[in-house]
Amino acid sequence: MALFGYSLKERQTRELLALGVIRFLGGSFLAVMGALVVYLVYRGGSAISWDFLTEYPRDSMTAGGIWPAIVGTFGLAAGSMLVAIPLGFGAAIYLAEYARPGPLLTVIRLGVNNLAGVPSVVFGLFGLAVFVSFLGFGRSLLSGCLTLGVLTLPTVTAAAEEALRQTPASFREAALALGANRWQAIRQVVLPAALPGMLTGAILALGRAAGETAPIIFTASAALTLNAPESVFSEVMALPTHIFNLATNGAHIAATRPQQFGACLTLIVLVLGLSLFALIIRARLRKGRKW
Amino acid sequence: MSEARLLAPKLSPTEKGFRLFFLAAAIVALGQMFLIALFLLNEAAGLLATAPLGDFLFSKDWYPTYEPPEFGALALIVGSVVVTIGSSLIATPVGLGLAIYLAFLAGRRKREWIKPAVELMAGVPSVVLGFIGLAVVAPFLQDVLDLPTGLNVLNASFILALMAIPSIASLGEDALAAVPRDVLDASYALGATRWETIWKVAIPAAMSGLSTAVILGLGRALGETLVVLMVAGGAAQIPTSIFDSVRPMTATLAAEMGETAIGSAHYHALFALGAVLFVLTLAFNLLAYWLGVRWRRG
Amino acid sequence: MVAGGPIIEARDVDFYYGAFHALKGVSLDVAAKETTALIGPSGCGKSTFLKLLNRMNDFVPGARLSGEIKVAGRSIYGSDSDPVSIRRLVGMVFQRPNPFPKSIYDNICYGPRLIGARKKADLDVLVEKALKAAALWDDVKDKLTKSALDLSGGQQQRVCIARALALSPEILLMDEPTSALDPIATAKVEEWIKEADLSIVIVTHNMQQAARVSEHTAFFYLGELVEFGPTMEIFTRPRERRTENYITGRFG
Repeated sequence: MALFGYSLKERQTRELLALGVIRFLGGSFLAVMGALVVYLVYRGGSAISWDFLTEYPRDSMTAGGIWPAIVGTFGLAAGSMLVAIPLGFGAAIYLAEYARPGPLLTVIRLGVNNLAGVPSVVFGLFGLAVFVSFLGFGRSLLSGCLTLGVLTLPTVTAAAEEALRQTPASFREAALALGANRWQAIRQVVLPAALPGMLTGAILALGRAAGETAPIIFTASAALTLNAPESVFSEVMALPTHIFNLATNGAHIAATRPQQFGACLTLIVLVLGLSLFALIIRARLRKGRKW
Repeated sequence: MSEARLLAPKLSPTEKGFRLFFLAAAIVALGQMFLIALFLLNEAAGLLATAPLGDFLFSKDWYPTYEPPEFGALALIVGSVVVTIGSSLIATPVGLGLAIYLAFLAGRRKREWIKPAVELMAGVPSVVLGFIGLAVVAPFLQDVLDLPTGLNVLNASFILALMAIPSIASLGEDALAAVPRDVLDASYALGATRWETIWKVAIPAAMSGLSTAVILGLGRALGETLVVLMVAGGAAQIPTSIFDSVRPMTATLAAEMGETAIGSAHYHALFALGAVLFVLTLAFNLLAYWLGVRWRRG
Repeated sequence: MVAGGPIIEARDVDFYYGAFHALKGVSLDVAAKETTALIGPSGCGKSTFLKLLNRMNDFVPGARLSGEIKVAGRSIYGSDSDPVSIRRLVGMVFQRPNPFPKSIYDNICYGPRLIGARKKADLDVLVEKALKAAALWDDVKDKLTKSALDLSGGQQQRVCIARALALSPEILLMDEPTSALDPIATAKVEEWIKEADLSIVIVTHNMQQAARVSEHTAFFYLGELVEFGPTMEIFTRPRERRTENYITGRFG
């Protein structure tokens, strides 16, 4: 068997070694992440209470809770979807249903793909230059929502287009053959079939928007607000920027450690909760789909 | 051609209206790209009045608030490159290892749990990872290695790697899982071991998908802001060891943009930095896209 | 192994996929240097049986086996036997041509390189020998560095045969090797099977093919080996009613 010089023994040893290294690499990452999650839950869990979630910060942030940051994060995330969903779904419908394949479509799709990889801090700069300064919205909930909306637009568009493309062509053909026009076919047949998939993509984007920090540091966020936002032109607090401020800028970095861990855990639960929700819906859809 | 026009159905006003809206949305989605580039370059161009492009790119003196200010971005660019390379040295082997583990070794039961968990990890907000680097890893490094500060290239590379690994692993597993089963069977039937099949058949066949995964992961590390802002230490210097602090471009932007007067020379310099970042990540993405296209063709 | 004796001996083989009883008490001897055809309606267990002979069913989750299979006198499911070394001895050609996305040359060299063949001169000889044995040498000798995927389907399948032959296996398993090929390519592969100086086990759903290429035929039905004997006898005077029904086309 050692016809050409490699014995089976040698090859089996190499196999064991190589697969061992692979298992070690994968396992050590999972172990590190697992340990971090456990540690975060442990430190954060002891900080979280009902009061922590529902009170304003007190005593230079060393006491009280994170309520305004939670509200701000919800506001920013929801507002960004008001921007991204109509535009993103509209663009996706155009790309999937109306546009003819050709160089223009390639360019649009390339643009959308590339935007998804542009660093979020660059979107922050864009928001600062356009919404805060050029359009004069100032540092506000509105500027933050628009910036986050622009940031998530490529993701929402790409996911929605994908969902539309997955509905079988026979659906459209059947509707058109029954005398429907293009828009009727889309509205009555294609959209109902594709909408759950499109929304899944939007929820994933919503989670991303809720967790973003860099784009809102200079477009929306205040270190501390003592009232609920009065209008869309108010500055707001947000969980990510709150964590960042407490951990790096505050006067009492050590004293607010429990608050920092608590806010981290809250943010993770919020963001991963949304992603998990979307992943579960997606899995359900794939199972339940009949075509 | 004239017959084709005769056959085209007449559009109702509603249909026309919606079509117009969808087209407008698509134009916004595309226009955004040009708008971002336009605004960045426009604001960046203001810098050229103060500092020539050569000084900006090749001087390492970044003293934006001195009198007179100096805007040499070299140390910042090097800072970004160093932590990106550092994170890639960790994230590439671990991410690909995890991908191979998921695709070939985990078995169906384990994969059904681990794959979604890894995908969820890709969604952990970067501020949380930055916080972990700051509050957990930095004190640990400082104590164990007896360093002046735990906020340095090593820590930033480690945390950035934690962020890039899930996306490399997830995309990499997709690429490996797309290798046709019958090609793998052919290798096994020729008496190849599992590792020989992975190394000589699966990895070459999935190569462009795997490289796309790595490049996208690295592009993410290059553009990541909060992690390096919180963990890299913030010193605008060219590092001489992995225990030195650096100030990557993204961290500089996030730290200084909030405190500068709109329209000042410093403001324009930061936009120039943003433009450099934009161009670099665009290059990364185009490379990934190009590899992806080749992958689909191959 | 006694000269002229069986090269494969299967005794009381039962095989399960999870709860599904795929093979029921199959015992069968394959004669050395001859061609044995496995026939039967789809789902009858013939492919499953074939894949047991080089342990390709090891990859199927939840698979269980009882009974014994010996190749060249050694039990291949014994605790000391190793699938990797068995597969060097027992080559396999699949239904769909599955060349690696590499050059023709590198496809053929894949197996030898696994066991340490490195010298170009050795490999050149091996490649030529294998391609000649697969009756492909004249077609491809000038384009060995071209991708195997650029060849026609029939040529790809013969690359796969040559690739298996490059390891000089004792036995070649063929799982519906021509069902994805056109008639001309099929004829060439059949021609090759008839002339090959090697023990071959071939699964086919094509009665004529079994009759043309094999010396022995085994008929499987619902996981059982119904009848096994010289091909001439099976096709002219089967002993079993079920065999007769099948070869005259009544099972559909």
